Amino acid sequence: MISFILIILVSLFFTGIIVRTKSITSGRKGPGIFQPMKDIFRLFKKGSVYSKTTSFIFQIAPSIYIASIIMAIMVIPLGQYKGIISFDGDFVFFAYVLGTGKFFSIISAMDTGSSFEGMGASREALFSMFAEPAFFILMGSFSLLTGHTSFQEIFASLHFGSYISYILGALATFVLVMITMVENSRMPIDDPKTHLELTMVHEVMILDNSGFDLGMILYATNLKFAMYGALIANLFMGSFPLYLTIPIFFIIQVLFAITVGILESFTARFRMNHNAQYILALSSVSLLIFLGVLLVLKQFS
Amino acid sequence: MTYSSLAPLILLLPIAGMISISLVPHSIRDKVNFVFVVLIAAITSIPAVKALTGTSIDILIGNNVVFGNISIHIDKLSSWFILIINLTCINGAFYGMGYMKTYGQQKANLSMHWIVFLLFQSSMLWVCMAQNGLAFLIVWELMSISSFLLVIFEHKNNATLRAGINYLVQMHIGVLFLSAAFIWVYFSEGSFEFSAIGKFFSSNPNVWLFFLFFAGFGIKAGFIPLHSWLPQAHPAAPSHISGVMSGVIVKLGIYGILRMVFLLKQDYMVIGEIVITVSLLTGFYGILNASVHRDFKKMLAYCTIENIGIIGIGIGLGLMGIGRGNNALIILGFAGALLHTLNHSLFKSLLFFSAGSVYQQTHTRDMEKLGGLIHRMPQTAMFFLIGGMAIGGLPPFNGFVSEFLLYYAVLLGIKSVGIVYITLMAFSLAGLALIGGISMLTFTKGFGTIFLGSPRTALLRQPEEVSLGMRLPQYFILTIMLSVGLFPGFYFSVVNEIVSGFIPATSSTGMLIPPSLLNGISSIGRFGVLFLLVVVLIYLLRNSFTRKLPVSTGLTWGCGYTAPTPRMQYTGKSFSKSLGKLLHFVIIEKPKYKEISAGEIFPAKRTHSSHYNDFFVTKVIDRIVDRLLYSLNYFKFIQNGNIQLYILYGAFFILLIFLGTIFNFI
Repeated sequence: MISFILIILVSLFFTGIIVRTKSITSGRKGPGIFQPMKDIFRLFKKGSVYSKTTSFIFQIAPSIYIASIIMAIMVIPLGQYKGIISFDGDFVFFAYVLGTGKFFSIISAMDTGSSFEGMGASREALFSMFAEPAFFILMGSFSLLTGHTSFQEIFASLHFGSYISYILGALATFVLVMITMVENSRMPIDDPKTHLELTMVHEVMILDNSGFDLGMILYATNLKFAMYGALIANLFMGSFPLYLTIPIFFIIQVLFAITVGILESFTARFRMNHNAQYILALSSVSLLIFLGVLLVLKQFS
Repeated sequence: MTYSSLAPLILLLPIAGMISISLVPHSIRDKVNFVFVVLIAAITSIPAVKALTGTSIDILIGNNVVFGNISIHIDKLSSWFILIINLTCINGAFYGMGYMKTYGQQKANLSMHWIVFLLFQSSMLWVCMAQNGLAFLIVWELMSISSFLLVIFEHKNNATLRAGINYLVQMHIGVLFLSAAFIWVYFSEGSFEFSAIGKFFSSNPNVWLFFLFFAGFGIKAGFIPLHSWLPQAHPAAPSHISGVMSGVIVKLGIYGILRMVFLLKQDYMVIGEIVITVSLLTGFYGILNASVHRDFKKMLAYCTIENIGIIGIGIGLGLMGIGRGNNALIILGFAGALLHTLNHSLFKSLLFFSAGSVYQQTHTRDMEKLGGLIHRMPQTAMFFLIGGMAIGGLPPFNGFVSEFLLYYAVLLGIKSVGIVYITLMAFSLAGLALIGGISMLTFTKGFGTIFLGSPRTALLRQPEEVSLGMRLPQYFILTIMLSVGLFPGFYFSVVNEIVSGFIPATSSTGMLIPPSLLNGISSIGRFGVLFLLVVVLIYLLRNSFTRKLPVSTGLTWGCGYTAPTPRMQYTGKSFSKSLGKLLHFVIIEKPKYKEISAGEIFPAKRTHSSHYNDFFVTKVIDRIVDRLLYSLNYFKFIQNGNIQLYILYGAFFILLIFLGTIFNFI
């Protein structure tokens, strides 16, 4: 429960920090960190325009999308404190419930019959597909390392001892950060600020959404960032008590947001046709973690 | 009433059905067929349910001249498959009544179709009951032939006939493997009974005989590289037949494999390793091909291959569990496989039925010609959507339950199989995830292209929603699917019961299913409900917020372009093109296009077309067949069409056997 509330809290200013970081690195003052939320609230009050081509899929998809993310957030623990949902193998549920949301966001883009949105949908499907194995191998390695299969048990019993395990922690953080970037369609996979529809991935999928629905989709992105941030924060909590984990949680979320901002300021987007290989390479980093776990467990003797 | 009195009834009822179909008027033949399908289902389901809840049923048909004793045996494993067959066949027959209405003029053809349908159902049921090699081969053969006759319903169409004959030939290659395996056991143990196979396994190396069986059953199931009949036969058959074939006939290959697996005595690890490897490749290859094809029934056929791979992964994991004596892994692996068998038969028949409805209304299987059907056929669209989500394993539908079991089994496997097999486990985990991802791409593509957007071509007749008779069985399937998705605990306890009966006594050292996992399985259902509730809640909230806000409609945003046409929509082909390009060495694209040459100043009008070829067909099977044809050409003189000569061959053969016996060669 506590993790759910914390993630919702962080989601209110996460993208604000990213925007602020980007402004500062480019020499501007930038808006306040709650500006993205204010924009979303303004969208909630606006009316909508629907394309004549669309069907009921287009109407329900944003609700299902945000619902899937809320369900996924419920699975995330805070160190040793369970999330609302916690059972053996819950990370499979986590990944697949997000999949349901993604399925609907893809078909909602195809519902408009626009060539641009179809293109975005195709890319989204392809990129997120390649990110799946990386996540599962990562979680599989943790499960092997700790002997548990639920998020809360894994994170609560994850502690770093030897040099190898520090490397594992660093690699895992890297993989999770990159998965976040892929799943949220940010640099270097996708440029949310790009001005050409042909080069967009996520942004082009929601070209036809407006009003309340658009607000929900934008807020879902904030939630997703906070959710993955929480996952990364969990790597460093172990079984600390609450008065330590909450500050750790916030510090890591803010650091993560700043990192994303810096990453977006100083990297260029990859060539679209190389993205798939790049994302697939994440899986090999995950495999590296897997081998590292085997080393830690002294399986090679 | 004893069950031995049921045995003649199980045999006689289909025959009675076939005769009565031919006697009643044309207009009610489909209904009579349905009645008999239900009757046969009822009469076979009673002993099946009994066997599932209690002890298995044995009936011995004694002292037959040809076979010796034939034992009919219904244990928990057979019962599970009998129930799946009956469920799918009832749905198929019901849907078929509506689907075949358009072929009303072909009276003789249609009667034949319904008569064979009864034989088809019964032969599949008999396959699950027979425990004698010879009897098994005969009913197996009956099943192949009857399904062949069902596939070639549109035999006037050359392509259909070719697909059908291809199917028939491949099935006989399978029978060849099976016969060889049974004869091998016969020579070694002197009996065709299945129990003799068990005896054989306990005294001989297991690997070779098992893989002979695996090849035979694998052709039916569609493991690569033995899968090539599936993508041809499924699109050719009428949709209710494709649904039943993909739903159950393919699963009987799985039944055969499982039957042999439970007779194995040793070499579990090696066999498990090979089965998992083949299954992983099958799953990956199947879904990869499914993602690129534009014929939506072909896409579904390839998707069947993928699901066979997933089931195979479960079987392999279970085998490794036996090898390591880990009961939890045994149960999870086999239970995942069995549950996925049920799940796949449900959502694949749903998908084939809804695809059939689309075909009936539009007369095309090419998804690039369709689009926007959701406005004309909203319920069919919903069936296809839910089927597609379930097949991708997305919660809260049933596919997620069995995939969850398999993921859990792999995680358990990583911990317990030991370092030698651990890479395989890691690849299984990644493979399952990747297969799930590509499956999402495939079905978003399929659903998006067929049902969403605007129509890509002008159809001759506006499609309409299909009749209630065709929708009802789909609603029925949907209900069962939701029940599996929301109450997985019950279904797991059933498959758990089945598998527990087959755990060898030697491996009782390992732990049983941990209670936390049972909790996890029922949690899936609970949180599936929660997910649905959250969706409904958010949707209602959204509606109450937006009720007072102004809503207007307009054109789709064309990025500044104001005259878009339906032809400018993203096509299914381009949707999966980037994946196809990335893996071009597996999915081979053959474009037909003449490049503009250097001297061509005024290029003439030209066309571009491309299609995807099956890697194994073009690179392996075709090459072998071509070589074979080349060498067999020299023996053409034997088959010269002269009947007198053929009779002479027979006489010559008899003489040869006669001489052989005289001189004690044979």
